[in-house]
Amino acid sequence: MKRGVSRRAALRSALGALALGAYPARARAADYATAKDALEAIEGFEAGVERFYLRLDRTTPASRLMIASFRRDRHRHRAHRDRIRRRLGVPRPEAAAASESASGALPDLREALSSLVYAHAEALPALGDPVAVSLLLADLVDLARHLTVVDLWIEAEADRG
Amino acid sequence: MAEPRRDFVTRLACAAGWSAPLLGLLGGTARALPKSEENDLAILEASLALEHEAIAIYETALQRNLFLAGLRTYAVEFVGDHKGHRDTQIGLVRQRGARPVSPRDDYDLGRMRTGDAALRRCLEVEIAAQRAYQVLNSQIRTRDYLLTAAFILVDEVRHETVWKRVLGVKIY
Repeated sequence: MKRGVSRRAALRSALGALALGAYPARARAADYATAKDALEAIEGFEAGVERFYLRLDRTTPASRLMIASFRRDRHRHRAHRDRIRRRLGVPRPEAAAASESASGALPDLREALSSLVYAHAEALPALGDPVAVSLLLADLVDLARHLTVVDLWIEAEADRG
Repeated sequence: MAEPRRDFVTRLACAAGWSAPLLGLLGGTARALPKSEENDLAILEASLALEHEAIAIYETALQRNLFLAGLRTYAVEFVGDHKGHRDTQIGLVRQRGARPVSPRDDYDLGRMRTGDAALRRCLEVEIAAQRAYQVLNSQIRTRDYLLTAAFILVDEVRHETVWKRVLGVKIY
């Protein structure tokens, strides 16, 4: 049940501080100045997650259905980001081919997914456009669900010993 | 869950006292609100009302011992999250010089007497909260509240996904 995520813990502390009106900017993992920076960060974290999927797809047949579903969501997320780029006039970067992760450990995948989820949250204030925010929020919801699915998988593995 | 999702989400939002413009957003009949301090406050109050309801549901179910042992841990975790969301948003309302909305006296929990009824009621309020934060967040004007609401949304999705899994609803 315990979710060992240092990044999330830091963000939670920041959330608590916000209630007291003392939200320190340095407590944030990222404070993107522009939509371009935010979208590029998301794409970097997304590539990090894909590296785990490549490995799991090859080494863990039981994960293939889940990964196929997550990749369908990712396809939609990329389309959303393309729309956001068009709306905001942000150029699309060159896509680099992802290489397989050296680790197939679920906690490492969890950390990579967590970074991607929170990059979406942190990107929202940099967008400055309600439609772009709506699109990225929809992706955030999908990714938070993916993160929970992986949490449940980790818990099931732990229960099995 | 026999009632269509949009209907029960709207019903919960109505019961929570949401204003007509916010209900319009939730129901898809309105597309945007003017970005203003007043609307940020209305969004805060609407979100806070749902947090109060979620806390009441979880606390009642926990007091009645309706969760199986393995699920009780989740319920304790999730009610803790909701209390954190409540306190954060109460702080934000007070920062704006307003008085936060209080919990209602009655959340119609009399019939929640079985584990299955409790799980379904928890899932219902989590879906409503997830939908509410997703729809309302794009209307938030204040940078820090937008970020806070996004973090809260991540928690709501976690809660919803866990209860869906427990109830055998597809999660991927």
